[in-house]
Amino acid sequence: MAKHRVAKVSEITPGTTRRVVIDSCEVLLCNVGGAFYAIEDVCTHDGGPLDQGTLEGECVVCPRHGATFDVRTGDALTLPAVIPLMTFPVTVHDDDIFVEV
Amino acid sequence: MAVNLQAPVSPSDLIEDYRHGFHDAENYVFKSDKGLTPEIVERISAMKDEPAWMREFRLKAYELFMAKPMPTWGDTALLSEIDFGNIHYFVKSTDQTERSWDDVPEDIKRTFDRLGIPEAERKFLSGVSAQYESEVVYHSTTKALDEQGVLFCDMDTAVKQYPDIVRKYFATVIPPGDNKFAALNSAVWSGGSFIYVPPGVTVAMPLQAYFRINAENMGQFERTLIIADKGAKVHYIEGCTAPKFSTSSLHSAVVELIALEGASIRYTTIQNWYRNIFNLVTKRAVAHANATIEWVDGNIGSRLTMKYPSIYLMGEGARGEVLSMAFAGEGQHQDAGAKVIHVAPRTTSVVTNKSVSAHGGKTTYRGLVEVHAGAVGAKTRVRCDALIMDEESSSDTKPTMKIHEQRSTVEHEASVSKIGEEQLFYAMSRGLSEADATAMIVNGFFDFFVKELPMEYAVELNRLVKMEMEGAVG
Repeated sequence: MAKHRVAKVSEITPGTTRRVVIDSCEVLLCNVGGAFYAIEDVCTHDGGPLDQGTLEGECVVCPRHGATFDVRTGDALTLPAVIPLMTFPVTVHDDDIFVEV
Repeated sequence: MAVNLQAPVSPSDLIEDYRHGFHDAENYVFKSDKGLTPEIVERISAMKDEPAWMREFRLKAYELFMAKPMPTWGDTALLSEIDFGNIHYFVKSTDQTERSWDDVPEDIKRTFDRLGIPEAERKFLSGVSAQYESEVVYHSTTKALDEQGVLFCDMDTAVKQYPDIVRKYFATVIPPGDNKFAALNSAVWSGGSFIYVPPGVTVAMPLQAYFRINAENMGQFERTLIIADKGAKVHYIEGCTAPKFSTSSLHSAVVELIALEGASIRYTTIQNWYRNIFNLVTKRAVAHANATIEWVDGNIGSRLTMKYPSIYLMGEGARGEVLSMAFAGEGQHQDAGAKVIHVAPRTTSVVTNKSVSAHGGKTTYRGLVEVHAGAVGAKTRVRCDALIMDEESSSDTKPTMKIHEQRSTVEHEASVSKIGEEQLFYAMSRGLSEADATAMIVNGFFDFFVKELPMEYAVELNRLVKMEMEGAVG
């Protein structure tokens, strides 16, 4: 597991997300009320990206079929998704956000 | 109603006499303007005096509906005929939900009489919930159900009376973003049934509801949520008929079933929409460990039906079954099927689909079987048979199978056939008319389905098939 600096804290405001690609791994960085979480940016239902979806509280909603995931745990909360998302550890140093993949 | 099989019948006579083709004068308390705007969505919510979370849910769903494209698959030519701006999204037929049959307004009663809802269904069966237009006007639950702690009411009431259960499960099986029509339903839903069966309780009698559409160009968007708690058992029956109209009506329901551990839900639908109705329905069920879900789904009528009851087998040992039949006559397309997703080990499913197309009608079986990696020992069997009555009619079978677990058993069987001249000749040589012989053979083809129905429905379905077949040969 290597730590990668992916963004600055000031770049991702609370309630928003950013897609980053680390070593061909697609990651969605989510700011939930100031806390950062990283999940894979691939819906486990249809394999498409989640970054065009919406972040509602701690849940990300897939833009295509409405599957909802908890960004803190990766759990699939509604159908049609049934498999949880992978999550990645996030650390913040000063203004920098690091993700381990 | 007795059908005189000996009298010569022409298709136009049948349409005139079509017993579901009557239409009572419209008499409404409130009818929304045509078309859909956020104001109409808010107005629906306000008229129902809903809590804030439901209003927000509707408004969010409205945005999704507007943003989502129409399906690019299926019968896109027919789908493009739907004019969303030319539909009333909410009609309220009486001021309040009636509690007793005697209080139900006379013209509505007359409609039910002419529909021939069986006496048993009206007065005796454990719960009767008849939906006329967008809201349930009559609903009663027997004492026995109350004593068992079974909750059975219309969805509007449930939102207010049982907010904890509703919030916990509502839209978790079919989120508004699932597809354009689920989003539409989520924005403007009205009526439908809510059932909660407590742990270990078996509901002995089937619970029933009847849906009707009466206002021209009116969409009907009922929303049904059924939860069977651990070890509970329930059978729900929904019958649908609609009178004829010259312009198209849209029916887009959402049905969510949740069977918790060891629970069992059977959901029986008979749909007999008139042939100008677009019936675009999302039905999905979740079965947890050792739970059983059964969809029994009959589709007759409508202009276009797109309906694929789905079952997610989430827990070990869960079982799913989909039994469906479809009949497509002139100008109709029945695009129906089933989806079964095996997520957990040792889950089993059976899908049986039979369809008949006649007089230029078209049937499509569109199905999905998915076995997730790790669903060791999953077993599934799909069987679809199509009967094509004449040269103008057609049938397609489009099964999809995604198997990610080698240690599973998947069977698929399909057949397409037409009525044999010899069969007809034989039956006619025994004294049957051609119409009778054809109807008998078609009814035999659907027998697997009919025998799963309660008696009144079985009788009605056999009659309907006969009438449809007469139309085809008249």
